[in-house]
Amino acid sequence: MKTFKIFGIAAVVIGILTALTLESCSTEQITAYKNRSGAQLWGENCVRCHNAPSPASYNDTDWRTIGLHMRIRANLTDDQAKKIFDFIRSAN
Amino acid sequence: MKKLILLIFIGLVTYGVKAQNNDFKSSKTQFMIRGYGHTGYESITTNGVTESSYNGGSFSPIFLFKHSDRLMFETELEFEINEGNLNIGFEYADIMYVLNKYMTVRAGKFLLPFGTFMERLHPSWVNRMPTKPLGFGHDGIAPGSGVGVELRGAFRMGASTVNYSVYSTNGPGLKTPQGVEPIEAGMLNFENLIDNNNSTAIGGRIGLLPFSDSSTEIGFSVYSTNKVGDTGSIYENLEANLYALDFSFVKQIPSLGGTFDVKSQYNHSKIDNITYTIEETPGVFEDLIFNNESHSFYAQISYRPSMSGNDFVRKLEFVSRYSKLKTPTGSGFEADKKEYSFGLNYWISWRSLIKLNYQNISGTGGHDTIGGFNQNGVYIHWAIGF
Repeated sequence: MKTFKIFGIAAVVIGILTALTLESCSTEQITAYKNRSGAQLWGENCVRCHNAPSPASYNDTDWRTIGLHMRIRANLTDDQAKKIFDFIRSAN
Repeated sequence: MKKLILLIFIGLVTYGVKAQNNDFKSSKTQFMIRGYGHTGYESITTNGVTESSYNGGSFSPIFLFKHSDRLMFETELEFEINEGNLNIGFEYADIMYVLNKYMTVRAGKFLLPFGTFMERLHPSWVNRMPTKPLGFGHDGIAPGSGVGVELRGAFRMGASTVNYSVYSTNGPGLKTPQGVEPIEAGMLNFENLIDNNNSTAIGGRIGLLPFSDSSTEIGFSVYSTNKVGDTGSIYENLEANLYALDFSFVKQIPSLGGTFDVKSQYNHSKIDNITYTIEETPGVFEDLIFNNESHSFYAQISYRPSMSGNDFVRKLEFVSRYSKLKTPTGSGFEADKKEYSFGLNYWISWRSLIKLNYQNISGTGGHDTIGGFNQNGVYIHWAIGF
């Protein structure tokens, strides 16, 4: 019974996720996603947990370490992590 | 002779300049210490009894060792003064390797992605409140960390980002009447650093950020094991199944002049039922029979007038939180509590804030509490990340 309950909840959640994902597949949405700059991604993704750090807080070498750490901790995609790092390196 | 001395001098200077250049060239291998800490003052009145004290604070250093662009080691310790004693915690220590664009493997003791609070939001400079919501931390029903191996990653799907994690850990143990705290018999012990029954726990989380601006994330987590008791004990074959739902929304809304941050998580825990025989007083035993099901929930909203023209106002943040914990009726750790908290934060910098907070927790039961429970607390905390 409990297994059915968990699978039932999982099915509902997956259904919602699928519906939202399909909604996001429009050409405009995909273009908006692909065109996101490193600065935008930096501002949007850091604040999911904490304030966006100033690029000047660390040097490039430190950012490489922090960038790898945060890519894994925050589950960023490879593309997002690269764009964010390129922006930080250009802005610090 | 003069020519020889000149050549040696030029050689030394050239070598020196080269060596100096090398000193400033960053190496592939990097070691960093980061972390966070807090201090403050707390005045807490529990069932009419007030305790006020400066809080000695905590210090949580995080050590990062980047071996290469793919390989990294991370560890976090926690030093905290609690009730006059120095407590030292070992939060996590794991090795991470980026397998490809979509997969990273972690092994060791790592924060579990069961929901998002414990993995992402609990550090004092990230958490907008000075305390954890009900259901997390000591005596909580949600796992915080585990020892094992994990595969995680993220990828794009349309304009959405999907992130995932699957892991296997030693799994939880079960607190029993023969343990250190018999009253907690039936609770899971997530600080189970060795496998007590040759049965691992498996779990995972899937998160979806449906919109291209990453403002919204919803996640679903599971954590399951088919054995929680010690090998050979009557509790060995009890199963535990947990799941969590989490939600996050963070966005600057120009029409409202600021940034809204909404966080929420629901945790549910079910452990197979069994009778726990507790020795109430020497020679007097009581059978505790209960449906071992618990759940907790929290929702938090904060607003920061980040678009204000006034620098002082821009650094303020208004925050409120509701949380709830319900543990099994009839158990020694029975509790049914609700928390309402309201706070005002002042951000000194992007990683340091002062929190002024009022918190009320009311309900029944809880750890070492019989009957009604009413707690009012005023907290002033200063937290910093570094």
